[in-house]
Amino acid sequence: MNGIDLQQSFVGLLTGLGLTQGVARAVWMPLPMLLVVLVVTVGALASTWLERKISAAAQQRIGPEYAGPFGLAIPAADVVKLLIKQTTVPAQSDPLLFVLGPVIVFISVFLSFLVIPFGQNLVISDVTTGVFLVIAISSIAPIGLLMAGYSSNNKYSLLGGLRAAAQSISYEIPLALAALAVVMMSNNLSTIDIVNQQAGLGILSWNVWRQPIGFVIFMIAVLAECERIPFDLPEAEEELVAGYQTEYSGVNFMLFYGASYANLFLSALLVAILYLGGWELPFPIDRVAEIFRIPESSTIWQIVAAFLGVTMILLKAFAFIFLAILLRWTVPRVRIDQLLDLGWKFLLPIGLVNLLITAALKLAFPVAFGG
Amino acid sequence: MMKFLSKVGDYARDAVQAAKYIGQGMAVTFDHMQRRPITVRYPYEKLIPSERFRGRIHFEFDKCISCEVCVRVCPINLPVVDWEYNAEIKKKELKHYSIDFGVCIFCGNCVEYCPTNCLSMTEEYDLSTFDRHELNFDNVALGRLPSKVTDDAMVTPIRELAYLPKGVMEGHRADHTERRAGKLPVEIIEAAQEQAEN
Repeated sequence: MNGIDLQQSFVGLLTGLGLTQGVARAVWMPLPMLLVVLVVTVGALASTWLERKISAAAQQRIGPEYAGPFGLAIPAADVVKLLIKQTTVPAQSDPLLFVLGPVIVFISVFLSFLVIPFGQNLVISDVTTGVFLVIAISSIAPIGLLMAGYSSNNKYSLLGGLRAAAQSISYEIPLALAALAVVMMSNNLSTIDIVNQQAGLGILSWNVWRQPIGFVIFMIAVLAECERIPFDLPEAEEELVAGYQTEYSGVNFMLFYGASYANLFLSALLVAILYLGGWELPFPIDRVAEIFRIPESSTIWQIVAAFLGVTMILLKAFAFIFLAILLRWTVPRVRIDQLLDLGWKFLLPIGLVNLLITAALKLAFPVAFGG
Repeated sequence: MMKFLSKVGDYARDAVQAAKYIGQGMAVTFDHMQRRPITVRYPYEKLIPSERFRGRIHFEFDKCISCEVCVRVCPINLPVVDWEYNAEIKKKELKHYSIDFGVCIFCGNCVEYCPTNCLSMTEEYDLSTFDRHELNFDNVALGRLPSKVTDDAMVTPIRELAYLPKGVMEGHRADHTERRAGKLPVEIIEAAQEQAEN
């Protein structure tokens, strides 16, 4: 279980060219950050394209078609359009908070990708408190939403901002409880170790089978965190115009829009990591190597394995995004009281029970539940 | 205790039921994804207007007797008939005739009441211009023959539901030259005549 270590080989290469260890590491440092930001941006853009295409298919339309092959250039066109548009600040608003709101939301979402691994060593930093960090950072976003809603000097915005805050806070708890059960099983908060703990038996060792209730809770809570239908009350276009985004245009709006899709991508990746075995294939890839007598240390095998891993995690993430989009055109929006009912009276008790059951099973069957 | 348990049971049943219904709904949504798009990609594909379509009005200058019936039956007296009495032939002579399609509601009253049938409805409907004054068609513009969707090489003509062959529900699925379901009016008349002879 070691895979390719790009950092080591890169630093080795630079020190071979005559640089000191420290300088070589400093040169390495921005590279994974840039790469991850790029991957997230592309992932978010791909999600917007998927949203349009799948929505169109669900409504028997074609969707974007003429901008590039299959309309693939439409996200780029969107970005360019929003960059060119004027950014207006409404009269009697708080200009500082108004600009700060989307920035906070955007940064908090992108910061969470710090601990999201795309492969064994394909992560910016393997923080030992990974899952905790993601949950902690994701609760910064509602502050930005509240700021945006409050500073806009607009009833719709204020209501949307308050709703966003209420929703995020109430669904953070079941989310954390579901994640906690997984953490308890793998005795670890690190995202990489959680995935490694799901390796071994391929699809059978994924956490979904051991945490079916937690999986469902996590999916529902994550949908609510992303403010997607059926939980898109903060932006409910029929009642609140666009919620906290009402007064935003141009680049500021793009930050919100991008952050919401990056958040969806993040949530999808989290579901994949916590419950669907991350970058693990549905069958144990190490066994395949053994059968074909390929030494695990050979470079080509490691590159192939890393490539398959990245493909797998992206496949799982986009499967979740597909499900979320399908759900969007299936279920209607819940009312605010139904939303809070579901969060506090259903998901929270079940999450607690799930946690207790996991603890009991862990004591009773330490082999299967990571004792 | 029993009360609490039965409540928990009810709640669980509700949850399972809700999950079941959402699953059914998702199946419907998923099924829609493999269906063919019903949308018409407008400038490249166009629907063939029905036989009774009320599009741009066609006007034949030489048939007009300047009776102004079209003006009288028009809800807003829209057609402009510019004529002069010619004392030599003791007849009205038409100078100009125009209809402003930016104001016309295409009700077809003028066509209906015209005594000499010099007005007729065409199947043209895309009249957009950059200037609304260009929609004020004079007798030359009104006299132009209408363009047909089926004659345009750039356009894929698509038929509406009622004009499709038997069993076909989507316009994309059938070529526009295929025979439509049911009998043509001519055939119905012929059949009736045959029956009367026998």
